[in-house]
Amino acid sequence: MIPDFTRAVGVPRLAGIAYPLSRPMGRPGDAHGQREVLRALLGLLVSAQAPDAYVELPYTWPETPAQARKGADVNPPIAQLLARKPWLLPKLYTGEIPDEV
Amino acid sequence: MAIDSYRFLDFATRQIIKAWVNREVHERRPIPWTPMTRPLAECTVALIATAGVARRDDVPFDQERERQNPWWGDPTYRTIPQGTTEDEVKLYHLHIDPRFGQEDLDVVLPMRRLGELASEGVIGRPADTHYSIMGYQLRPHVLESETATAIAREMKARGVDAAALVPA
Repeated sequence: MIPDFTRAVGVPRLAGIAYPLSRPMGRPGDAHGQREVLRALLGLLVSAQAPDAYVELPYTWPETPAQARKGADVNPPIAQLLARKPWLLPKLYTGEIPDEV
Repeated sequence: MAIDSYRFLDFATRQIIKAWVNREVHERRPIPWTPMTRPLAECTVALIATAGVARRDDVPFDQERERQNPWWGDPTYRTIPQGTTEDEVKLYHLHIDPRFGQEDLDVVLPMRRLGELASEGVIGRPADTHYSIMGYQLRPHVLESETATAIAREMKARGVDAAALVPA
C-alpha cells in the first residue's frame, strides 16, 4: 500500500506492505496469505511500544505493477474532472480543495 | 523505509501523493497513543475497512454526489456484522478496483481471517460488528470530527478492546 503517506499522516501503529491498492490483505481466495498478513498486523498491537511504531511486512506481490493494473476499470470522477479542466490540478497538490465544482 | 510506496501507482497519482506526504510532514501533529490494557489473546478486536463496503440492505455510500462534485467524498460510515459475506455487500468506492473485494471480502475486510485467528487463540474474539468508511476524503474534517468519534463511541459501547484499520 502507501506506508509513506500513512506514516506522514501520523498513526500510532503502522504495518507497511508492498501490495497494490484494492488488495490490502492479499489475493482473493488466498486464505493462508491473508491470515498471515492479519496475524502480523495484529502482532503490532503487542510489539509496538510508542507512537509512530512502524514495521514492514516481508510479503511480496507476485505481479508487476502493469499486471496488477490489468483489467481495472477505475476512472474516478476527480480524474475525469481534471482531464476536462487540467488547470484545477494544482488544487490537489496544495490541498486547497474547493467546496464545489 | 525499504517498501516502495509508489510502485503500484500511476505517474499522476504518485506525484499527488508525494505532494501530500510533503505537506503532512510539515504539518506534523501529535500522534495519539492508547496502550494495550490486556493480552491480545483476551481482546475483542474490530476491523475498519476504507473500501466503502456497505450491506446491500443498508444505505449505499453516496457515489452520485461525488460524481456531481468530485472534490467531495462520502464521509459517513456503515456497520458490517461479523460473518457478513460477499453476496450481502457492495463496494462503493470509485477510486479502487472493487472486483477483488467483491469476489473475496476478506481482501478488504478480513472477518473470516479474524475468526480463524480467534480459533487459534491469537485474539480473544472478533467484535460482533465491524466498520467501513469510504477512503476518498480530500477534506477529512467530517470524517475526523464526526465519523471517527461515532465509530469509537460504538466500539466502546460494544466492548471492543482493539481495532485494526485496513486501508484499500
